[in-house]
Amino acid sequence: MSLVDLFLGALLLLTGFLAVRLKNAVHAALALAANFILVGVVYFLLEARFLGWIQIIVYAGAIMVLFVFVIMLLYAARAEVGADPLPGLKPLAAAVGVVGFLALAYAFAGVKAPLAAKAASAALSGGTAEALGPVIWQTWLYAVLLVAALLLVATVAAVTILRPGEGGRR
Amino acid sequence: MIGALFVTAVKALVLILALLFAFAYITWIMRRGLARFQVRLGPNRVGPFGLLQPIADAVKAIFKEDITVAQADRLLYWLAPLLAFTFALAAFAVIPVGPDGWVVANLDMGVLYVFAASELAIYGVFLAGWASGSKYPLMGGLRSIAALVGYELALGMAILPVVLMAGTLNLQEIVEWQKQHGYFIVYQLPAFLIYFIASLAEMSRTPFDFAEAEQELVAGFHTEYSSTKFVAFYIAELLHWIVGSALIATLFLGGWDAPFGLPEIPVLWLFVKWALFIFLVLWIWASWFRTRYDQMIRFAWGVLLPAATVWFLITAYYVVKGGMA
Repeated sequence: MSLVDLFLGALLLLTGFLAVRLKNAVHAALALAANFILVGVVYFLLEARFLGWIQIIVYAGAIMVLFVFVIMLLYAARAEVGADPLPGLKPLAAAVGVVGFLALAYAFAGVKAPLAAKAASAALSGGTAEALGPVIWQTWLYAVLLVAALLLVATVAAVTILRPGEGGRR
Repeated sequence: MIGALFVTAVKALVLILALLFAFAYITWIMRRGLARFQVRLGPNRVGPFGLLQPIADAVKAIFKEDITVAQADRLLYWLAPLLAFTFALAAFAVIPVGPDGWVVANLDMGVLYVFAASELAIYGVFLAGWASGSKYPLMGGLRSIAALVGYELALGMAILPVVLMAGTLNLQEIVEWQKQHGYFIVYQLPAFLIYFIASLAEMSRTPFDFAEAEQELVAGFHTEYSSTKFVAFYIAELLHWIVGSALIATLFLGGWDAPFGLPEIPVLWLFVKWALFIFLVLWIWASWFRTRYDQMIRFAWGVLLPAATVWFLITAYYVVKGGMA
């Protein structure tokens, strides 16, 4: 745990907090983008360099851009979201958050890292595309295919729901 | 460690100064060139052949009043030109201009770095569009994001065959590969064409310059900007053109490698190839129409992306089958 780790952790928490608490939707989206970039930096520090770049390109680049696009399209020039559409849900959300955190903490308490951090960095061999490729496309191929199928199903479902007419709700 | 850091810092400084100088004279070349295409003279009053025009323009722009519109979101309005300018400058850092040491940062995943920088640069554009609190900039910002979603995929898909054939994401190694085996424009002509069309959108140059579209949107996303903030956007815009041309020359035309067995001189050959693309883009600019942005998006998703995917699969099959071992 170095000073850099602490600093990054604090920044991650801060941007995450801002993303939830900021009233202005575009400001919140930007805080989330900063959060994504910081996660990328954490990946770099863990020697997972390819993953770090992908994190920045896919999340901070593509996904956040789509987010902001939707916000701009829906709220146009006024991004103040204003009244909470579902009042009274905040305590429930907080409770769910706490339960989720406890569950995660419990799950991680049982995990023993198979390698010490130093050895893990060496095993990642810089986290280049060459090191990552065989892991994704050989060892975990079926898991990757399952995730891909899941995303495809979600996309098809979204398109079906949003299609005008034909029983779909607009 | 400190020494290496110092060398990198000096290289970065030299690169930034060179890019800004290039920017200044790109404006001159652009205005004179467009004027030639349109049978006009262009700026020719300040200095010989109007060569001091960029300096006059800079002085004029800096002393203009810096206006912030009342509806603007202060923080983001101020941040947007900064982001656009910074990321536009940063992208050039991994492009090698000569063998070995002639690059600011020899990253092992340089291609990904360029992608990240060019994607983050779009933040400046749509933040400007949104933070101005005005209709035309908002339209420009929305258009620029819609375009990004369209062309960025085709752009990435068109780079993949090159990466696959060279077997590396490092731009320096891609150039070395081309030095040995010949330029990618020969092996990868379809990828080159797709990449070139998509990068016209990335530079927001003529068939796809609808983010500004002066006849429709006044000046698009930077309508409400003036003085130095406007200059920052103007520089960022033209830097995309400069960096994009250098990148395409590096990926497909062998970068700094001397063609036809001519003597190897760092910087010179990349400059020549770069100038070629700068002129090509100017030529298209002067002689072609602007597409409507929904046409461009249909074209990107319906033609560019499928074509790039098919070509990628063909290349992948070729490489797996032994390719050019």
